[in-house]
Amino acid sequence: MDEAALSEALRAARYVAEPGLVTTLWLALEIGRPVLLEGDAGVGKTAVAAALAQALDRRLIRLQCYEGLDLQQAVYEWNYGRQLLAIRLHEHEAGALAERDLFARDYLLERPLLAAIASDTPCVLLIDELDRADEAFEAYLLEALSEYQISIPELGTVRARTPPLVVLTSNATRELSDALRRRCLYYFLDYPSLAREIEIVRATLPEAEARLVAEAVAYVQRLRREDLQKTPGIAETLDWVRALHRLGLQALPDDPAATLQTLSCLLKTREDQAQIRARHALAGAAG
Amino acid sequence: MAPRPLESVAGFAAYLRGHGYKVGVPEQQAMLQAALALGVERYDRLEACWRALVCGAAGEWRRYPELFALYWRPERTKGRVRVSGEPRPRRDLRELVVDLQRGLDAEAAARAAGLGAPGEAAAERPAETGLAQGGASRAEARRDFRDWPPEDAARLERIVEATARRLRARLTRRRRLDPRGGALDLRRTLRRSLRTGGLPFEPAWIKRRRERPRVFILVDVSRSMELYARLFLHVARAFAAVLRARVFVFHTRLAEVTAWLARPSGRVQEKIDAVTAGFGGGTRIAASLAAFAGAHARGSLSRSARVLIMSDGYDSDDPRELAERLAAIRRRGARIYWLHPSREPPQSVALAPARGIVNAFAPVHDLESLARLAGLLE
Repeated sequence: MDEAALSEALRAARYVAEPGLVTTLWLALEIGRPVLLEGDAGVGKTAVAAALAQALDRRLIRLQCYEGLDLQQAVYEWNYGRQLLAIRLHEHEAGALAERDLFARDYLLERPLLAAIASDTPCVLLIDELDRADEAFEAYLLEALSEYQISIPELGTVRARTPPLVVLTSNATRELSDALRRRCLYYFLDYPSLAREIEIVRATLPEAEARLVAEAVAYVQRLRREDLQKTPGIAETLDWVRALHRLGLQALPDDPAATLQTLSCLLKTREDQAQIRARHALAGAAG
Repeated sequence: MAPRPLESVAGFAAYLRGHGYKVGVPEQQAMLQAALALGVERYDRLEACWRALVCGAAGEWRRYPELFALYWRPERTKGRVRVSGEPRPRRDLRELVVDLQRGLDAEAAARAAGLGAPGEAAAERPAETGLAQGGASRAEARRDFRDWPPEDAARLERIVEATARRLRARLTRRRRLDPRGGALDLRRTLRRSLRTGGLPFEPAWIKRRRERPRVFILVDVSRSMELYARLFLHVARAFAAVLRARVFVFHTRLAEVTAWLARPSGRVQEKIDAVTAGFGGGTRIAASLAAFAGAHARGSLSRSARVLIMSDGYDSDDPRELAERLAAIRRRGARIYWLHPSREPPQSVALAPARGIVNAFAPVHDLESLARLAGLLE
């Protein structure tokens, strides 16, 4: 698959990607490296992975990182309950159950990382918000991602038959290690330009009125230049246009009060809402 | 003679390295691989491919297009070409890709694998000198103070050493789980036994943590600190001896002096004067911190790191930049303590935006305040 085809496939999955991003993803497939996506919340980092999975017709396996994520939740865990049950069930049949029977694949709970590597068909592995996990996990990941293998002491090493396409995302709350960065392709996702965002909204909500989309997106783009606590992302734009469309509007209402009613889709803190309300009140008084 | 295509790529990699990018041999191989995979028809996509390969952080990402244009299309971006001593490589991407493809047919692909051109490997690792983890043994630090002229200095160092030792004990008192540990962690063992129906199949062992806290001391030796810098260097010396702290001095630039502090020698001050002789006037704290975090302590600023800045806070850089540098260090998990020679925290303009970022300000103006330091740094 070349870049043009990948771009088309992503578009079919309702993801309008910048040319640079398409090139990076294509390169990742070509040379088999993980992709590290950074950028503000809401610019579509997670959506890239979902769209990729759909575009490539692969299964998406998602690992959501959080503080204190440990290997049992990320890689694998033995199913203790089942093991105990098996012991109890076989208690009265002497010699029926050997120890190694208990450490077989049946008693292994696959968590996302192992699932991705053990998968028979190629898949897309999304490791979301890696910056929230701690350094120890990052170090483990380094090993798993460079060799695409996981060793389980009781079973041996599981090697990937087809290396998964790995997408890592980070919100930069903590700096990731240089070692990890060096093993990944890096792409910084920024807020889209006006034209691209209109394209994105139109791809996702083809039924919305063109004029409404253009005006709403222009409004959001203006809003992003304000000094807000939480800048609205693309998801917020989509929500808002969806809401406006649901209200049966063909264009942004002339009356700012009507616009303000729906701003809860865009502004997610009380201070931000107050700020924009005050701005509109001022503009209204002046006009 | 036209340079070979491989050298062209290596030249661009070296150029990026000169601008602080981490482009080693594996990255260069990947750059080559990408060029070959793209082929001639799509050579214009090379910029985006290489961007993904060589960038590792948002800052690098933003600077890349300019650097790329400066290197490959200098004729279009006049007046800003960085002069380098190397022979000018051929800077035509299309030709480069064509040459590479041709070269692939002619020469074996093995040549691409052996890309690490002479001198490249050496250039890849930024100067990692022997003074990386300098530090004297405790005995050495205690040995003799006759090299330190005033009596006070000796007394000061002893007190600081005691402080540092207390701090070391506190920073390493945590225990961690370790299958080869000597003590049983009862709480965790019981917790684990729940999985197996109350039978403690898997006892949890604990062990004293071996990792040392990493302490970095940055001493401001600018004119405004003249009266205190000497004293602070004694403090830094004691920390270096007991905690294996790394010590740096700065005013317009930053230099590591750990190795010189480790050996008891009468001429420490002279040596430091010699290092700083080339520094210009003024104080550039923000730039010095950037050099510190970006080069000297790049790999070791983690959660266990403590950065002690001994300065009065007069900075000729932009105040916002100082805050930004400090925040960058904090983001890597390190804690920052600002030790000032005045009784009250410094009121300088440069420090105002940094107030929320520094973990604590502490006065170090007499022996008593020094003794309180251990409690603070814990």
